[in-house]
Amino acid sequence: MFRFIAVIMSGAIALTACSSSTDSNSGVQSAPDLNTVRMITHESFVLSPSFVEDLLEQGIDLEITSTGDAGTLTASAILAAGQPTADLLFGIDNTLALRATDENVFEAYTSPELASALPQFIQDTQGGLLTPIDFGDVCINIDDTWFAQEGTSVPANLEQLPEVANLLVVQDPATSSPGLAFLLATVARFGDEWPSYWEALRDGGVAVAGSWTDAYYTQFTPSGGDRPLVVSYATSPAAEIVFAEDASVSEPSTSVLPDSCYRQVEYAGVLAGAENSAGAQAVIDAMLSRKVQEDIPLNMFVYPVRADATLPEVFSDFTPVIANSTSLPPAQVSEQLASLLDTWGTVMNR
Amino acid sequence: MGNGDEPLSGTLASHLPRSLKRLWVIPAVLLLVFLVYPLIRLTATAWTADTVNALLASTLWQVVLLASVQAMLSVGLSLLIGIPIARVLFTYQFLGRGFILALVTIPFVLPTVVVALGFRSLFGDLIPNGLLLVVIAHAYINIAVVVRLVGAQWSTLDRRMEVTAATLGAGPMRIFSTITLPALRNSIVLASAVVFIFSFSSLGIVVVLGDGSGTRTLEQVLLRSTSVLLDFPTALAAAILQLIVVGLVFVISARVSRHEPRTKIILERARVRGPQAAFVVTATCLVAVTLVLAPIASIFWASISSSGGLTTGWWSGLSDFDNARIGSPLEALGRSVGLALFTSVIAAILGGAIAIAVMSRKAIVATLALIPLGVSAVTLGLGILLAFSRGSLDLRGTGALIPITHALIAVPIVVAMATPSLRTVDPRRYFVALSLGAGPLRAWWTAFGTVFSGVMLAAGGLAAAVSLGEFGAATLLSRTDSPTVPVQIARLLSKPGESAFATAAVLSVILVVMTMSLLLVVDRIASRRVFT
Amino acid sequence: MSDAGLRARDLVIGYETPLTQPLNFEVGPGEILVVVGESGCGKSTLLSTLAGVTLPLRGEIYSGDRCLNDVPIHKRNIGLVFQDPLLFPHLSVIDNIGYSLRASGQSRDEARARSQELLDWVGLGNIVNQKTWELSGGQAGRVALARAIAAKPAVLLLDEPYSALDSPTRMRLLADVKNLVGLEKIPTIHVTHDHGEAQLLATRTLTW
Repeated sequence: MFRFIAVIMSGAIALTACSSSTDSNSGVQSAPDLNTVRMITHESFVLSPSFVEDLLEQGIDLEITSTGDAGTLTASAILAAGQPTADLLFGIDNTLALRATDENVFEAYTSPELASALPQFIQDTQGGLLTPIDFGDVCINIDDTWFAQEGTSVPANLEQLPEVANLLVVQDPATSSPGLAFLLATVARFGDEWPSYWEALRDGGVAVAGSWTDAYYTQFTPSGGDRPLVVSYATSPAAEIVFAEDASVSEPSTSVLPDSCYRQVEYAGVLAGAENSAGAQAVIDAMLSRKVQEDIPLNMFVYPVRADATLPEVFSDFTPVIANSTSLPPAQVSEQLASLLDTWGTVMNR
Repeated sequence: MGNGDEPLSGTLASHLPRSLKRLWVIPAVLLLVFLVYPLIRLTATAWTADTVNALLASTLWQVVLLASVQAMLSVGLSLLIGIPIARVLFTYQFLGRGFILALVTIPFVLPTVVVALGFRSLFGDLIPNGLLLVVIAHAYINIAVVVRLVGAQWSTLDRRMEVTAATLGAGPMRIFSTITLPALRNSIVLASAVVFIFSFSSLGIVVVLGDGSGTRTLEQVLLRSTSVLLDFPTALAAAILQLIVVGLVFVISARVSRHEPRTKIILERARVRGPQAAFVVTATCLVAVTLVLAPIASIFWASISSSGGLTTGWWSGLSDFDNARIGSPLEALGRSVGLALFTSVIAAILGGAIAIAVMSRKAIVATLALIPLGVSAVTLGLGILLAFSRGSLDLRGTGALIPITHALIAVPIVVAMATPSLRTVDPRRYFVALSLGAGPLRAWWTAFGTVFSGVMLAAGGLAAAVSLGEFGAATLLSRTDSPTVPVQIARLLSKPGESAFATAAVLSVILVVMTMSLLLVVDRIASRRVFT
Repeated sequence: MSDAGLRARDLVIGYETPLTQPLNFEVGPGEILVVVGESGCGKSTLLSTLAGVTLPLRGEIYSGDRCLNDVPIHKRNIGLVFQDPLLFPHLSVIDNIGYSLRASGQSRDEARARSQELLDWVGLGNIVNQKTWELSGGQAGRVALARAIAAKPAVLLLDEPYSALDSPTRMRLLADVKNLVGLEKIPTIHVTHDHGEAQLLATRTLTW
């Protein structure tokens, strides 16, 4: 018995030892000193390691924790409002931002770097509480190869989509963030008439997937599915090249329907009641620095807000910023979201 | 549980060494701190008067009703597939038995994202999204629950009972329905309860394979309320309702389970003799292997194919996969293995202490340990986040939260496996050892040690496998720069581009192989201890 | 009634390798053939071969004129009692005894009536609805015997029955067995390693 317990205990100790030696920058600290800044973000957050390394040179030890998707992240921040689980948050978007700022989740901070942002973002701060970091668009993606082979004409705008609805796969807005963005795009375009637009899509045979992954990787034609139109991101064609099997692929086989795009902006904010708000502010400044801003596109496949940030070639060649992207006022989204989803569910029988 | 059938075992509880009798404190404290406290904390934060309204609203109750029907169908299909496999694997001894047992456990520990996508690419054209596809996928995932729980009891059945029934004139079907099934009743009830709960609270499967309202679960309502609508009253109401349903299921299953005398005999598994037995064993194994491997094969296919034909590039490119963007897959593998080992140690200690607690009549601990089955990963994750991320209670940096959470998730399975096996030991051995002059602890170890350590090994191995595949809690608690393999698979699957998808497929296949090897080793060690 | 007995002709038993020379024996109605031998010599294998659990390596088994070799266990009409009573734990005492009657298609009431007679006969008329695991060893042994003969089997096979019980109880039970098979005229094969027991019961002995 004792031998058994001893073996287990020593095993546990050895494991603890090696697990703490593997992640070197995660010391056990009872109270974070001024240098430690804790950031919570969503699971899709990625930047080059140099982001954390450069901050360390400035004397800031940045600990990043991911908390589910953007929605769950926002939910956790609201639940912990006033007694935050970190110092700053990155990854709240314009769909949900208002809910969080209404609940006093953030404290005001205006980064001096924000002056260098594109003009439309300089004032986009929800009253000084949030700092825009990047933006992207959700758009219909088109499998050009398929349309060329079939000799069918590619739809030119949202209005033409119902005619080819049987070629389109969208996502359930209740479970998928691009799905929700596309629903909002149709609301922005058709106003109160949006349900009849969806009725037309439904009658035309649109497919509804539960998740982006299913829609893109099993139902979209380039992945072997039978739908050459899919709701995805404006940058998916660029990602297709970056993540291609070999470097010889130089041109994407897919493109974007610019008329269908919905704009999403991602913000960072200092959490109200943060133990290290000065450090959090410094991290926000760093995220707006030109170096980090130029690092954003190839990591998260979104566009930097900074005006002087140079886009990677693959972006400027194949997925330049969509000029006429739509979006709804945050107040309208916040007010109508629940009833929009309910109506959508009724229309689509889901 | 564990009531004695003979006077001696009735007094076992009161004669156990004091240190063992107090062991229940460890799991009780851990469960209170890492399970009950976070849940109370979350409830206290999110509770408003609207929660009551949401609880009374008919929409949630409709979901309960529909999800119950779905879960019952899933239970039915799992039993239909699982019981014949359990019979072959636990009453016969044949070459490859351990391999197939490990194989049927794979679906249970695979990340549901992977299972769901495997099903979509396999059945996408044949079966439309909806109830049927969801039920099939749930049955697929839960074969292992039925096979392992029912099989464990089956292997302790005295085969002479069936022979006796045959001499009394009962044909094979009659023996099965009047002797074998009733004898397996408790494990079938337990397995049904577990499968019901997993299917009732399913998320990944119903999101990808469901059709919305027809297959909605409370978990799906919870996700939508938390992460889309930020409607906390409804989310909390859904969580509470789910906990109530799960509690009810366990109360009902405890009622339906029969008190039975201690099982006395563990028989050797029979060799396969005669053409009929050979046919049954071969056919069942073939069906089991095909069932389990079909979706996995479609994943393997994805890992070796590209737009340009077949390739080994995804595999060979694994070590230098563009790691700045997604994190190194190899590091994630190492990290997942470390976490899994850590989890298995915690789960084995927790589960062992609980099994001992059950022997000394602290059944309340066992009931507490079942709570995680009914708590969604999101709920538990958020609760733990709220409870343990501030000031001196900030445990995130220590890296201990994930293994602790995984251990909590695995403990119900560990307990379900461990308690029946301990009941096969004749408690009189303990008194014999005492009378021969052994101290209480040594006597206990003499009587129960072999079986106990075997069971703990098996349980720890299963917990490690659960940890390897767990996604929900890990995505809420892992540090961004140190993802586990399932988290990394999910990240890859959320990016467009061939290599992202194919690398996710490669990682899934590696996960399958690692889990297989782990289960093979552990099953082998455990069965040596338990069956000799 | 000699055609109602059990006969073995050149019977060789064992798994893969033979355990015995070819066996030839016959048991008539009311006779008790006692097989005596050390443990491990194949006595139990003999019974399981006669019952149909194990296939014989060679030779034939006849019940009357009917060759049993290809008859499945449940159609052989045999009573078999192991060392342990092996009562079905989820059935009441009376339903244990009535099991074979129900299997042969009798109604619940018919089966219960006959079972009650047998219970009374073995002196346990008052424990009808008791849980099987609450019975004493002696009681369980009687119930197992009553169950084995309820459907009037063509042969009764006893595999060291009651060997877990204390000697006086066992002897009393064995005396009951002797009375019963005499009364019901059931051919019986009894396996034991105890020569005393053999002498007490046997109308004939077969020693290995």
